[in-house]
Amino acid sequence: MKRFGISLFAMAAALAAGAPAQAADEVVIGAVYPLTGNGAAVGLDAKAVLEVGQDLLNNAHDPIPMLMGKGGGLAHLGGAKIRIVFADSQNDPQKARAEAERLITQEHAVAIIGSYTSATAATISQVTERYEVPYMSADNSSPSLNQRGLKWFFRTSPHDEMFTAAMFQFFKDIGAKTGHPVKSVALFYEDSIFGSDSSGAQRKLAGTSGINVAADIKYRASSPSLSAEAQRLKAADADVIMPSSYTSDAILILRAMNEIGYKPKAIMAQAAGFQEQGFLTGAGPLAEGTMSRSSFALDAARTRPAIPAVNAIYKAKNGKDLNDNTSREITALMVLADAIDRAGSAKPDDIRKALIATDVPGSQTIMPWAGVKFDETGQNTKGTPVIQQVTNGTYHTVWPFDLAVQETVWGVK
Amino acid sequence: MDNRITRRRRRELVVGAVLLVALILLPLPIGDVYTRNLIIISILFAGLAQAWNILGGYCGQISLGHSLYFGIGGYVSTLLFVQAGVPPLIGMFAGGLVGGLVALLVGWPCFRLSGHYYAIATVVVAEIGYLLFLNWDFVGGAMGVYIPFKGDSWLALQFRTQKLPYHYVVLAFAAATWLAAWCIEGSRWGFSWRAVKDDVVAARSLGVRVFPSKMAAAAISGFFTGMGGAIYAQYVGYIDPDSTMSGQLAILIALPAVLGGVGTLWGPFLGAAVLTPLSELSRSYLGGSGRGVDLMIYGLVIVVVALARPAGLLSLFGLRRRAKGAPDGSPA
Repeated sequence: MKRFGISLFAMAAALAAGAPAQAADEVVIGAVYPLTGNGAAVGLDAKAVLEVGQDLLNNAHDPIPMLMGKGGGLAHLGGAKIRIVFADSQNDPQKARAEAERLITQEHAVAIIGSYTSATAATISQVTERYEVPYMSADNSSPSLNQRGLKWFFRTSPHDEMFTAAMFQFFKDIGAKTGHPVKSVALFYEDSIFGSDSSGAQRKLAGTSGINVAADIKYRASSPSLSAEAQRLKAADADVIMPSSYTSDAILILRAMNEIGYKPKAIMAQAAGFQEQGFLTGAGPLAEGTMSRSSFALDAARTRPAIPAVNAIYKAKNGKDLNDNTSREITALMVLADAIDRAGSAKPDDIRKALIATDVPGSQTIMPWAGVKFDETGQNTKGTPVIQQVTNGTYHTVWPFDLAVQETVWGVK
Repeated sequence: MDNRITRRRRRELVVGAVLLVALILLPLPIGDVYTRNLIIISILFAGLAQAWNILGGYCGQISLGHSLYFGIGGYVSTLLFVQAGVPPLIGMFAGGLVGGLVALLVGWPCFRLSGHYYAIATVVVAEIGYLLFLNWDFVGGAMGVYIPFKGDSWLALQFRTQKLPYHYVVLAFAAATWLAAWCIEGSRWGFSWRAVKDDVVAARSLGVRVFPSKMAAAAISGFFTGMGGAIYAQYVGYIDPDSTMSGQLAILIALPAVLGGVGTLWGPFLGAAVLTPLSELSRSYLGGSGRGVDLMIYGLVIVVVALARPAGLLSLFGLRRRAKGAPDGSPA
């Protein structure tokens, strides 16, 4: 037992001493994601896509028509390479905070990218604020994050209010186009931070758009049964059901509504579970016609020529197509790398200035956005989302109409 | 016999003082914030485990719901600070008081249950508390509460990048829990509690008032746990139900005490000194791979200790002497 204790200590000591020294010609970016525990599936995808991004930035390859798509390192830094150091937050705010601190002080990260969940982003962005390095929020969608007066917070992704605004804009546009406007919605949302934020924005916008909220249903995430909730949705029979749910709940509510013989006129989901491949497979034919907002449109290759190339490389590595999360993550990395390159310096202060000056047109990204330009709170104001609809088992972009690949199937009468 | 106990207790006090001085000096030569953070978290969990030990160890009431008192302590001090401007240095005592009060409220019905039933009841009550906070908009609901940074201040317990002040705050906290445990061990209360732990019927026949004993232990334990929650909230700068009231946290509070040695003065500290660095270091240096190697190592250590030393790590030290001389019937 004593020897066991000694070897443990030796292991800890060896680990503590093992921090690699930073080479002169590389720039370290820290990435904090949940790599184990709940959220690990998303975190591991993030790791895979960021590694793809790292390879695209550093290695020589055929040029891809997008920001930083040439490869060969950072031109203005003498071809310096980007090295991403990953850290596991285990989806715990305290651990995310400690890891961000470690990446900055020990790995000498000049910027941090992260972090999937909003709770971990809340603490990471406090650390980056105190150490004065930029935090690039790739995929945190809580609207409150950029409203805390932080100087070092940047978010390429749209947040939930922008996503929700797009949904209501779509309701208006489709109403004008078909002559069947949305008169009532039913909110259906899980009880964690995501559902609270999302439904809050929806309630507010429904109010200002003069749309009646026929039902306001909060449920316990990962419930074993959603039959009672399905009954309430049926009773309300709103024009559009607006769910904010993760994968298993998304499948469950469609099945529960089907079991009681209720076919909703339209479903407009706040992405999340509804945008996962697991949902499309699990819900099968029940998913047909479901609409969801998305910050990414895999089928927008006509206007975003870089999508097929990036998607092919990612798919070869991780066996899946780019999705709502992974596309936002690699885009955030490219925007960050571009800022470092333009700054011509790995000093956090110079990077911050370059980020503030960022103005990238949407066509230079893989996103359907108008572009990337940060306002004074660090929020990208040009991150305009799209609306997609499931037909034949996959999502197709239906709005904005100029990006649409097919007509909307609109059940509201 | 009495002399031996007095001598042993005096020796413990001396060891405690030496350790305290050592821990005061420990961070001074350490420059990097990562190691300092590691030490701070370890000491915090040492204090929390000791707080748990007061109820779970000395009084034998296994609580798997201490996350409730921890979270409530954190919320009370945070909300007092954010909503009313009460400095957390004061707020953490308020957090502790409310934590203790809630422990009494939980104890009132739950202490009528014994053994496993009590443990299960604490799990359920903590889950109810978690759900309440998750759905209560005044306390931020699922979104939690951000603590705005207002510049370096002892009163607000906020420091930009400094770790040293937090080190001394958690050290004072852990020292207070240790001192409380030390006092209890030698007091009439401590003897009553241990009697309750060993055999309720026998204790009652000796005139020990069982229910009040349990309530007193719960109040003290809840107080310190709430205080720890308040310190944690201020240290992390953000509080939400998932990170401060989850069932997983309840286990993390109890685990160092169980692994180190339940109902002993040094067990919780030893357990925290082993478990927290193990979990943090392995995550930092092996967790980036995303293969969960760190968690496997963590789990393996717990299993090995549980198999090899069921009475806790503390039994590695002075086992034989204790087996002969210990009057307190600590599990060996």
